[in-house]
Amino acid sequence: MTLAAGIGYVLLTLGPSLALFVTVISTKPFLILILLSSTLVWLISLIVLSGFWKVFLPIKTTTWWPYAILILTSVVFQEGLRLVLWKGYKKMEDMLDAFADRVAKPRLYLTDKMQIALAGGLGHGVAHAVFFCLSLLTPSFGPGTFYVDKCSYAPFFLVSAIISLAFVTIHTFSMVIAFNGYAQGNKSDQLIVPAIHLIAGTLTIVNLASSGCIVGIPLLYIVALSTLAYCGKMVWKRLTETQIRLTHQNQ
Amino acid sequence: MDRNQRNTSILHTLGEEIVRIITPVSICMLSVVILVSILDTDSSISSSISTIATIAYTEDTSDSEWDKFKGALLNSLVFVAVVTAVTFLLVLLFYFNCTKFLKYYMGFSAFLVLGFMGGEIGIFLIQVFKFAIDCFTYLLLLLNFAIVGVFAVFMSKFPIFVTQSYMVVIGVLTAYWFTMLPEWTTWVLLVAMALYDLAAVLLPGGPLRLLVELAISRDEDIPALVYEARPIFDPGSNTTVQRRTWRDRDRRGNPESQTTGPQVGSETVGSSQNVEEGNVHELSVPLIERVRDHGLQPENLGIEGIGLGSLGAIKLGLGDFIFYSVLVGRAAMYDFMTVYACYLAIIAGLGITLILLALYQKALPALPVSVLLGVLFYVLTRVFLEEFVVQCSSKLLMF
Repeated sequence: MTLAAGIGYVLLTLGPSLALFVTVISTKPFLILILLSSTLVWLISLIVLSGFWKVFLPIKTTTWWPYAILILTSVVFQEGLRLVLWKGYKKMEDMLDAFADRVAKPRLYLTDKMQIALAGGLGHGVAHAVFFCLSLLTPSFGPGTFYVDKCSYAPFFLVSAIISLAFVTIHTFSMVIAFNGYAQGNKSDQLIVPAIHLIAGTLTIVNLASSGCIVGIPLLYIVALSTLAYCGKMVWKRLTETQIRLTHQNQ
Repeated sequence: MDRNQRNTSILHTLGEEIVRIITPVSICMLSVVILVSILDTDSSISSSISTIATIAYTEDTSDSEWDKFKGALLNSLVFVAVVTAVTFLLVLLFYFNCTKFLKYYMGFSAFLVLGFMGGEIGIFLIQVFKFAIDCFTYLLLLLNFAIVGVFAVFMSKFPIFVTQSYMVVIGVLTAYWFTMLPEWTTWVLLVAMALYDLAAVLLPGGPLRLLVELAISRDEDIPALVYEARPIFDPGSNTTVQRRTWRDRDRRGNPESQTTGPQVGSETVGSSQNVEEGNVHELSVPLIERVRDHGLQPENLGIEGIGLGSLGAIKLGLGDFIFYSVLVGRAAMYDFMTVYACYLAIIAGLGITLILLALYQKALPALPVSVLLGVLFYVLTRVFLEEFVVQCSSKLLMF
């Protein structure tokens, strides 16, 4: 609607990520590089998906199942990429530990590993927010605004910003859960992450129905907040059990 | 947990130099994108640009695509030929030790860019924002700005932050002028310059390679506009430099330093167990000898010379800043999605170039990888990504 509204939408989507960036990531240059690389990887995955789906677009039918297939393939592809990222991270961890030994610094702490996972997840989240929300915000800096038929309660930009915020949260914390699950070999953690992603993706299909976003968006936020809670619980458990193990060793 | 008292982990320092060069490149690109978005409504200005790059063919919107491409190719060939000729002239002048002339020319070109190009862009901005200022004040401010910039670029005793800022400003101004070229010419020119950079630095007869070899053999600095990513406050610099001086003095058999060794052996900072006594001296003695070492011999400082810049700082030529920003600025003229994609591609290319620099340890061209990746991502985004994302987002379908 104006410059102020445009900046408002940007901050709505990226505000928490900016806070995370300034407090946790900006002090450690390595985490900034991890963030940039994971954003790039997400962009490449999006380009591959769009290249694959170019033939089938634009979808002219008003039924919902082509979109369901689209979301399904995209989520499956991105989760597969997460596995590849994990393998790459393992190799990098070994190289970092060897480097730490060479310069006589301590090896990676558990909190360091979790911060790397957080930076990776934040990279994915920021990429999502940038490409699905910010890149369409350019008209909002001008004098008018735009409403979508199916969800006419709020300007389109506001709705897409709110949805992107939920997805940023989901991407950021599911990466921490996933890496922790792969590190500990915990099957339930490993399976819950693709499940969350798929549920979140399919919840957005609800938005296709008329006034569907009234139902879809709160459900999406329930998923996002439960991801956050699950991640917090898991991290707390891991840190306290490591500390208990250390104090037992010292006794 | 007492982790705070232990040594900081490697995550705090690893990758610091890379981030220190990515930050000014990002600031330069961001400034050009903002300038392009604010000033982009003027289509009348672009038709009146006549530079070396449009000498062969002036693009017309009514031409067919093949004609535009041929014209752009002609333009770029002319431009690359002119740049090659000028670089060879530079090498010749450097060979005949006309370094003073080159330095004065560098200062003069900085004054031109800051004074004239900066002045015109300032006038555009004043027009857009309807800022109330009279021409005498503006002239005075502009003149001061330009002259301080010339000194910052010219003299090496300026505070490094001011020099770095002026470098970024010069990059932004030149890049904005380049974005005013017609569209096809810009893209073909970028690719042509990337290929030229590759040839000029890596081929045995390339002018830039000759220049670097001459500079290394004479142990001089190349007189050019180069951004040096040194930290603003460098606490480690004193100890590093003194470590070198100390090591040199030790080689000449200075007996005094040996006696101070055992006393300070217990204060070593590093904790690696298998370090020999010589290394132990290196790490700890500067703490004690700092008082005596204020009379540093200047010729030892010259050992640092070229290569990776003094004290291991990475040096990036200003031309690279300019062409990255031109790419991103051109992408901004289409849409912001291409800007984000090209930004990530350029940073990835820069990262790859820095990794190669660490592997090969010699001067490498910074343009090819980044520009080719940037152009690739621009084309891919425009052809594939945009439709996909707009289709999904406009139906509020996200994943």
